[in-house]
Amino acid sequence: MTDAKKQQGARLSEAEAIERAKQGDAEAFEALYNLHKRRVYSLCLRMTANTAAAEDLTQEAFLQLFRKIGTFRGESAFSTWLHRMAVNVVLMQLRKKGLPVVPLEENIETEEEAPRKEPGADDPRLAGSIDRMQLQRSIASLPPGYRMIFLLHDVEGYEHNEIAEMVGCSIGNSKSQLHKARMKLREILKTSRAEKATKP
Amino acid sequence: MQRATSYAVVTVLVLTALAAAESTRQEMHFKVGRRASVSIVNQYGGISVKPGPGKVVAITAVLYSSKVEVDQSKSRRRVTVFSHLLEGADTETGRVDYEVLVPADASVTLHSTTGPLRVEKLHGDIMVEGSTASVDVRDVSAGHIHIKTLNGPVTVTNVSDGLVEITSVGGDVALNAVNGSLVHVNSSSGKIHYDGDFGDGGDYSLTTHSGDIEAIAPAYASIEVVARSVQGMVEKDFPLQPEHTSFVPRAGSAFAGTMGEAASSVKLLSFSGKIHLKKR
Amino acid sequence: MTCEEFKRVLPELGSGHGIEQEEHLRSCCACSDLVADLNAISKEARFLKGSEDPSPWVWNSIEVALRQEGLIRQPQLQHLQTPAPMLGWRLRWLVPLAATLLIVFGALIYQRGTGQPQTAQQPSPPAGVVTANLQPTDVMGGEDLQLLKTVSERSPSMRATYEADLRSVNAYIRDAEQSAHSDPNDEVAQQYLRNAYEQKAMVYEMALDRSLP
Repeated sequence: MTDAKKQQGARLSEAEAIERAKQGDAEAFEALYNLHKRRVYSLCLRMTANTAAAEDLTQEAFLQLFRKIGTFRGESAFSTWLHRMAVNVVLMQLRKKGLPVVPLEENIETEEEAPRKEPGADDPRLAGSIDRMQLQRSIASLPPGYRMIFLLHDVEGYEHNEIAEMVGCSIGNSKSQLHKARMKLREILKTSRAEKATKP
Repeated sequence: MQRATSYAVVTVLVLTALAAAESTRQEMHFKVGRRASVSIVNQYGGISVKPGPGKVVAITAVLYSSKVEVDQSKSRRRVTVFSHLLEGADTETGRVDYEVLVPADASVTLHSTTGPLRVEKLHGDIMVEGSTASVDVRDVSAGHIHIKTLNGPVTVTNVSDGLVEITSVGGDVALNAVNGSLVHVNSSSGKIHYDGDFGDGGDYSLTTHSGDIEAIAPAYASIEVVARSVQGMVEKDFPLQPEHTSFVPRAGSAFAGTMGEAASSVKLLSFSGKIHLKKR
Repeated sequence: MTCEEFKRVLPELGSGHGIEQEEHLRSCCACSDLVADLNAISKEARFLKGSEDPSPWVWNSIEVALRQEGLIRQPQLQHLQTPAPMLGWRLRWLVPLAATLLIVFGALIYQRGTGQPQTAQQPSPPAGVVTANLQPTDVMGGEDLQLLKTVSERSPSMRATYEADLRSVNAYIRDAEQSAHSDPNDEVAQQYLRNAYEQKAMVYEMALDRSLP
């Protein structure tokens, strides 16, 4: 795309781009893609931890969106609509692989969730010392179900009622999974920090 | 006399400097995070990629004339290096050779017309596109290897636990000890040679239009195999149990059946080339 | 309130705490540290939003698919009249156009094949025997010639390579179409056809690759 075209795309507001895309305007499609590609791709990448799979899922999410763009009436924000498609696409992929997305029961306790020893009094808080790269790595190591809820709520900013609708679980389950995801991340981050502290 | 000697020395030094200036060396280093993505676009010249220490992408570029520049861009996880041809550049003057060290889990994308292109010992995704470039990928695990070539020969060696997709118009393709969940080769006139176990319970598809296919497998291979050539001859060195004879449209043109537990699916298809399933 | 009771209600609390929970937090360092840590993780996570870019291939693939499905509706061929400096950029439409034409053409051939009634009056040739190819193998359509013209302008040294490859791939398509035509239910013939079109699309894509100058 030439620089002139890029600038023209930027000048297109999202609303204009949506209307023009409904008419089959190629530049409008590309403008919408450029506006939202990062967010969709980042979600897919964090869920799959694989660039090729994330790119395939990103492509599929946008294709589904563009196929249905004629039906978009503006009842919700366009980005929310797109994001819902991206989540569906990722969930379908995880289901195809047979990976559990969200446990059916809220109160299932697995080995990972067994009660752990409370940190000692001399274990300082994480606040102010969280390394963002380490956080990304830790998120990648979460089970897919926890990871999805955590990404949707804490990274993407969705509310529990929206997450419950997207993922197909109860609001209570969404809250419970989020809490477990954060607890697991806390454990990983503290372990990582302790390991670094003991290294020469 | 002394003045003449001085002039001669200076002249030699200047000429040496000018000659050295014809090819220049550039070094670039980029710090990257986990699962970095590295992309090199180089129309004329070779690219060699190997794993390096730490979370650093180290690139050494040798430029063969002043008619080519190396441009670079970097975002948090993506490094892109691009050979920018200036006016008047051709295959010789526009040539740049790259030696690249990347973290072993990096994803790598290489584009070149002439190549050669070489990648080894990585476990990220690898995408290679060359027109007449020879492509050599070896000792790779757990990644997605995607190779496209017009006429360059392709060699893939010692790959495990991955996905391999190769599309070649006229370039010959050789796969040695390549196993994965999916191994697909689509060639038009290029020959395909496979020497491996057809392992990992994978889906193997070797197809050509007019190129020959030679597949060498061990006696313990566990495969369900279909081989067919519309106009060429088809041979096998193995007995198949059971053998599906109803599949064969004309004698010597096809066979189908299983060996062992039939864990992997193997398709050997050519339109007018010969197919031979050999015993190692 | 005990620590156990506090931890039981913690998932439900969200950002707000009741009086009872506040009192417990004031008196219990462990629970207070726990809440601070969980809030810090949540706060830091917000900075991870939308920080990665997909490769340019993703948009390329989306664009091709949109054109194939007719969702992009723009006249294409008039761009081919534009002057030479614009030609390289305008001709990028040839890639999705070519892919669209190839897929549509292939689908039409397939449909014509399946539409033919299998009656005694129309004996089909034995499976695997292909009728003689009466067309010369080096026939190239208008798009192919336009592609070669573009290659000549951008990389003259590559013209001969692309011409030979187009001939090879066109022969593949022709043979694959005949094979699929003679037995439309033959899955192997369908695979030949798909492979042949994939080859043609790859040749176009590489010839017009925007990443190479």
